[in-house]
Amino acid sequence: MTAASGRAFDGAAPSRSLSNYGVVGFRVELLRLIVAMAILGLIVAFYLGDTFTLNILATTFLFAGLATAWNIIGGLGGQFSLGHSVFFAIGAYVTAGFYMRLGVSPWFALAPAAVLAAIVSALVSFPVFRLRGPFFAIATMALTEVVLSLALYFESVTGGARGISVPFRRGFANMIFTDRLSYALLMMGFLAITLLVLAYIARSRLGYELRAIRDNDRTAEAAGINVVRTKLIGMAISAALMAIGGGLYMMYVRVADPPTLLSLFDIGVKVALITLIGGIGTIYGPLLGALLVVPLESMLRATLGGVFPGSNLVVLGIILILTALYLRKGIAGAAEGIYTRIRKGRRT
Amino acid sequence: MTALLNILAIGLLLGGIYALVSLGLNLIFGVIRIVNFAQGEFVMLGMYGALSASLAMGMDPYLSPVVVMPAMFILGCIVYRFILRPLQGEPMMQIFATFGLLMVIENGILGLTGGIGQNVSSFISSVSVRIGPIQIGLPRILVLVLASVATAALWWCLRYTLRGKAIRAVAQDRKAARLMGIDVEQIFMLSFGLGAAFAGLAGCLLAPLYTLSPQIGMNFIMPAFAVVVLGGLGSVPGAFVGGIIVGLTEALSGFYLDPALKHAVLFMVFIIVLVLRPAGLFGVSGAEEVGLREQS
Repeated sequence: MTAASGRAFDGAAPSRSLSNYGVVGFRVELLRLIVAMAILGLIVAFYLGDTFTLNILATTFLFAGLATAWNIIGGLGGQFSLGHSVFFAIGAYVTAGFYMRLGVSPWFALAPAAVLAAIVSALVSFPVFRLRGPFFAIATMALTEVVLSLALYFESVTGGARGISVPFRRGFANMIFTDRLSYALLMMGFLAITLLVLAYIARSRLGYELRAIRDNDRTAEAAGINVVRTKLIGMAISAALMAIGGGLYMMYVRVADPPTLLSLFDIGVKVALITLIGGIGTIYGPLLGALLVVPLESMLRATLGGVFPGSNLVVLGIILILTALYLRKGIAGAAEGIYTRIRKGRRT
Repeated sequence: MTALLNILAIGLLLGGIYALVSLGLNLIFGVIRIVNFAQGEFVMLGMYGALSASLAMGMDPYLSPVVVMPAMFILGCIVYRFILRPLQGEPMMQIFATFGLLMVIENGILGLTGGIGQNVSSFISSVSVRIGPIQIGLPRILVLVLASVATAALWWCLRYTLRGKAIRAVAQDRKAARLMGIDVEQIFMLSFGLGAAFAGLAGCLLAPLYTLSPQIGMNFIMPAFAVVVLGGLGSVPGAFVGGIIVGLTEALSGFYLDPALKHAVLFMVFIIVLVLRPAGLFGVSGAEEVGLREQS
């Protein structure tokens, strides 16, 4: 798939195939990113007074950002972690801890949260990276269970099963706002940062090495890539961004218990499935996936939740099965395919 | 001493439950190498099957496998044929597909039942037996006994019948098996169907022990994976021993450390075994790689 990547290694040489990342320079990508953000900004502007929709948008942007972070190691590196909720939870607890105990503004508390998540991810992943494919996925799932048990046990940090709640003291320094618009913009900022990081990595040496490992780790090793080191770096960056998302989530909902933060379906698997539905390994795929999945789920929960509880997850499950069956490269992959076909006539 | 005996008995009985639940997963994960996250939901469907049989026909849950197992076999075949077979050679897509299936089944049942917990009772539900100094409920002993019987039966079938030999051949090397004239596709569908049927059996036998809820499947799936990996992929006796080990680990760590930490210990052991010896305690070293390679 990325056999031709080497040719466009510096990102300048134009590649023929659009499925390669070297197609456009970073500056063009930056332009695209700004356009994407402007479109999202317009959507937000359209719903300015609508609290309900702004809430959905804030969640959508948050999950788009989380999925983008997952995409670094899951999409580029091909390591299907189902345990990213661990890093999400670390971010949430560190941010809340620093803010509530030490009075550190959440804006600054995000930094230690990200660093700790990166360290933990490297320590944990070092042994687990020996495993490949499904075994890696199962191990990361088991990891989530371990951390969930530990989180419930160490009540002093996590508040145990009751969870912790951040007192409502509004103000910019506390990252607590009364209006939903601020949160929507905050999450949009997070999304923009994750997209920027992904777009940058996709063009860097690290990105090409990750893709080489995804396509064939043995060949990559033979080509002189330090497989474990590359995977660890990818994982650490992904985990750090995930933790920042967790910190933002904590300040957004202000109350969280271990089962919510470490929930397989609401975090760990959801970021993976949003990426899969949107388009795995693509830059805007996770965003597209989140734009489809999160509002759809909220809408279904609001309309059908009373009559048919769980209907939102039934629909999501069906979408997931259909995506796996018919749309392997997700929405972004399908859109790209159509675009390529239009541009190049009959070549597929 | 009595305390320790009690803990060991509890662990052994829990191990029986895990061994029973893992029996089907072992066929699916061990032979076809499909990571079926929906296996726990198959067990849950088996439980609700026992409930329906008891409500509709007044059938005792211990008799209901007669109806539930064939139904689950057919369901398994359908799921394999239409969802998993098209995804062959794409293990990650299969994982996501089975996750989708998990969500559909769990929440479908949630929608149908409204999420109210239900109980199925059998005529032996309240009977308990005294062994030495410890008192044990008969249904739990029955689970352990029947798990042993089912394991032995499955082991015998795989060992001595032609179909069983074909299943083992496919598990060992599907390419060679195909060259020997075995219909690999058919064996896959058979294995998946059998795996689902055994999950149905587990559901029926466990129904009197638990309060039924749509989310109950999630309690089984991770321990079941731990059991199958510990015991060794595709090894039937291995899964039984793995089940007992997991049950004892859970009971002992729950008693000597803290009940809240028993899952942490269990899954930590699981991850360590997975990392150090991915083929499992009873598996052939390196066997875990077979089937994950792209095979035609």
